[in-house]
Amino acid sequence: MRSTSWRSVAAVAAAASLLLLPASIGYADESPSPALISAEPTAFTVGITDDVDSLNPFTGIVSTAYEMYQLMYPSLTSPSAEDFSPVPDLAESWEESDDQSTWTYKIREGLKWSDGEPLTAKDAAYSFNRVINGNYEQTNYGGYVANVTKAEAPDDTTLVLTVKEPTPLMENLAVYILPEHIWKDIDGKAVRSYENEPTPGNPIVGAGPFVLTERQKGQFIRFEANPNYYKGKPSIDELTFRVYKNADAVAQALRKGEVDFADEMQANVFDAIQGEEGITTVNAEYYGFNEIGMNYGAALADGTPIGDGNPALEDVRVRQAINHAIDRQTLVDKVAKYGTPGSTIIPPIYSTLHLEPANPFTYDPAKAGALLDEAGYTLNSDGKRVGPDGEPLTLRLLGRQESQTSQQTVQFVAGWLEEIGITIDTKIVSEDTLIELNGEGRFDLFEWGWVVEPDPDYQLSTFTCAQRSSEEDGTIYAGLSDSHFCNEEYDALYAQQAVETDAAKRADIVKQMQQIVYDEAPYAVTFYYDLLQAYRSDRFANFVQQPTDRGPALFQFGTWSYESITPASAEDGDSTTASGSESGSDSGLNPALVAGLAAVAVALVAGVVLVTRRRASDEDTE
Amino acid sequence: MDQPVSTSAAPVQDGAADGAGQSSGMSPGTRYAARSIGSGVATLFFVVVFNFFLFRMLPGDPIGLYTRGRNVPPEQIAKLRAELDKPILEQFLTYVANPFSSTINSARFNRPVWELIFERVGATLLLVGTAILIASIVGTLIGIRAAWKRGETFDSVSSAVTLTLYAMPEFWLGMILLIMFGVGTAITPGVFPIGGIISPGVDPRSLEGILNVAWHMVLPVTTLAAVYVAEYALVMRASLIDEMGQDYLTVARAKGLKDKVVRRRHAVPNAILPTVTLIFMNLGFVISGAITIETVFSWPGLGLLTYDALRGPDIALLQATFLLFSIGVIVANIIADLLYAVLDPRVRV
Repeated sequence: MRSTSWRSVAAVAAAASLLLLPASIGYADESPSPALISAEPTAFTVGITDDVDSLNPFTGIVSTAYEMYQLMYPSLTSPSAEDFSPVPDLAESWEESDDQSTWTYKIREGLKWSDGEPLTAKDAAYSFNRVINGNYEQTNYGGYVANVTKAEAPDDTTLVLTVKEPTPLMENLAVYILPEHIWKDIDGKAVRSYENEPTPGNPIVGAGPFVLTERQKGQFIRFEANPNYYKGKPSIDELTFRVYKNADAVAQALRKGEVDFADEMQANVFDAIQGEEGITTVNAEYYGFNEIGMNYGAALADGTPIGDGNPALEDVRVRQAINHAIDRQTLVDKVAKYGTPGSTIIPPIYSTLHLEPANPFTYDPAKAGALLDEAGYTLNSDGKRVGPDGEPLTLRLLGRQESQTSQQTVQFVAGWLEEIGITIDTKIVSEDTLIELNGEGRFDLFEWGWVVEPDPDYQLSTFTCAQRSSEEDGTIYAGLSDSHFCNEEYDALYAQQAVETDAAKRADIVKQMQQIVYDEAPYAVTFYYDLLQAYRSDRFANFVQQPTDRGPALFQFGTWSYESITPASAEDGDSTTASGSESGSDSGLNPALVAGLAAVAVALVAGVVLVTRRRASDEDTE
Repeated sequence: MDQPVSTSAAPVQDGAADGAGQSSGMSPGTRYAARSIGSGVATLFFVVVFNFFLFRMLPGDPIGLYTRGRNVPPEQIAKLRAELDKPILEQFLTYVANPFSSTINSARFNRPVWELIFERVGATLLLVGTAILIASIVGTLIGIRAAWKRGETFDSVSSAVTLTLYAMPEFWLGMILLIMFGVGTAITPGVFPIGGIISPGVDPRSLEGILNVAWHMVLPVTTLAAVYVAEYALVMRASLIDEMGQDYLTVARAKGLKDKVVRRRHAVPNAILPTVTLIFMNLGFVISGAITIETVFSWPGLGLLTYDALRGPDIALLQATFLLFSIGVIVANIIADLLYAVLDPRVRV
């Protein structure tokens, strides 16, 4: 009796799975490919590896979250697709008053939120005042309005911002304009845990090119084109961001056609996917750089020395020697894979602001050695540099646990520095530990990087004396400065650029500042890395790169590409499944792996067959 | 599904009668249960206190990391730091209340940690629960058959396969299956999704949604189950082989019982104890154990939440997940203890 019941369970299970199988296959076939048959809505899907932490624009901090905010909400101005210069968004035009105390923005007329309510300058004034007078709201946007005392809307198309001091930042205010009629009901306390997520039938009210309609945490975020968008409804009807938890999965999903766009690909995966039919790869210039930072002489903002940095690094010749000892081209080739050797702290993608120094630190171990000799660190018989005090020159070098790039870089750099006779003690720590060590000045060298906004103010501020550490109740807290750089001339120029509203004059000052940091060498900027992206060019076309022809095709400042993307021609669209499952050119798989896979598969099948066969014969004997 | 449990439960009563027959009173059993639960509670208390200090000992400046590269005014940074910088006793009380409180927010998501965990726990239970269920049935059956037919072809093949699977890192097996049956290769069709639990835009409450979820579950469940199957099969085989030399089996055969009956009613019930222990030990890891699988298949469960929290680091969330994982393991151990007593009366004494 028992034995039959066991067998019947198995039979039922098998039957059930057989029933389930065709249904699901049928389903799976239609689900991943947003078919481009004319009647169907055009659906564009982006694979992301970092889920949005919060859709509330006052809460989120990850970069994908900001991508969502700019799809949902407009700003006054937007950095242009061509070269990041500010161009009109919600504001048609703007001007600074003659006495430089107010800025007046002319807001577009007759605009509507996605729910049909009018969008006026009052919403803009509300959004700014919310940040200016807010507490929690300050965290994400306080930096932009620190200089703004009030926002007023004398009529529906005029916004007036009153400023304490003249500032060029007023053309680049990355503050999102929110619908007052929605947000007025969410007070300063409620906003802290407000999720801003849609429920079925209740999309999030916005005025960007897309309207947020659905979100499943850890899975996907879905938008629909906003018919009320002031530049006109975008060509793609649906926009979905699907979350994958590793970059490799996104690449596989792109190959298969589950997604149409992959961002932040790893170099090896990017190489493997290159040349595949129907996929176009973009190695975009990016806003980021990595550096080897040095302890310039750690101190509190008031100048009180702190920490235990090696005093050797307070000598500019030692810092320059380290700069000369680093072979940046090798780091680009072996570590970054896609990128360019680094020089100054404003990346070349910002061509109007970037300074390419006339006196570059070329890779020159001999010169590095000469500089160290000059500084009093001479080679002893063991090939080690020894200081004037007779002690060997030993430096601690910190790399970041979270970053493969960082760990590889410090390995190379340690090797080069050992070559010129410096003893290096390498340690890998977590990023939040590194911040603490930086803040307390308990380091000599470290590897990290920055992502630089179009407005250079923030990046430049990280080298001011005021951004060194601060002390409160005996605890030392890090400022933005991780090198503890401090230079009077630099600080004076920083103050100057902060109030210079003429773009050309400001660029001039910014370049002088870069030159100072370059010569003083608190950083050895290692490389400017590329952002690796890829998309299904058999399905979508007309991506816009920012800046033109060399920058990212998505994840930009502004929503340029999303507004411009169109479906590729219908014939291309039809070939989707074919090229999606085409795996003959699987360059990512090596033959050994395939053979291994086949072996495993055969073993598994054999096992299953044996189980069933044995069962049959077993029954015979019983 | 609960077939193995019921088959084993019945004969054990036989066994008890055959054996000592001294398990008549309830009080030793109750005392035993109280002892297991008591030691579980004590362990939990220790874990709670230990975790508190563990997280306090971590170096680092989370606020510095959160605000780095963002235009946050210094006053705001000071305020954020002040929120973390509370007296140690207050921190401890907050910590104990943490997972059950609706007011303590995760730093990364700015929402109560309990809410975050609650959203994710279902996906993990579905994935790991299904895998363990399948694995415990299939694994036990394979183990029994392999032991009973020891040395025959089935045994040698199944042992080779299970040993291979057992030795295989689960994330690696997952990636292989993903490439073979997710992306597709020259010899295998890529019919399964690359990741996730459901396709965007499908209502999970509809029949279509249920099928869609089942379809998404195939690869991750197979991967996880394969590893557990191997484990259960190996343990089951070994313990049954130990039993097979015992005199009582010879006696049973001498009574003229069929081979099948000897196996099902006498040998297996006695041999199944180690496997039951193992299944429940693994159940304890249900919540935490699938981090790597969830990462490979982008499964939106607790494992991924922990991974996100670690990257923060989001201390409030980490503490809560650690606490939950510890509770899971401790509770599963208590259940295993209690069940052991039911299955094997000797334990109760």
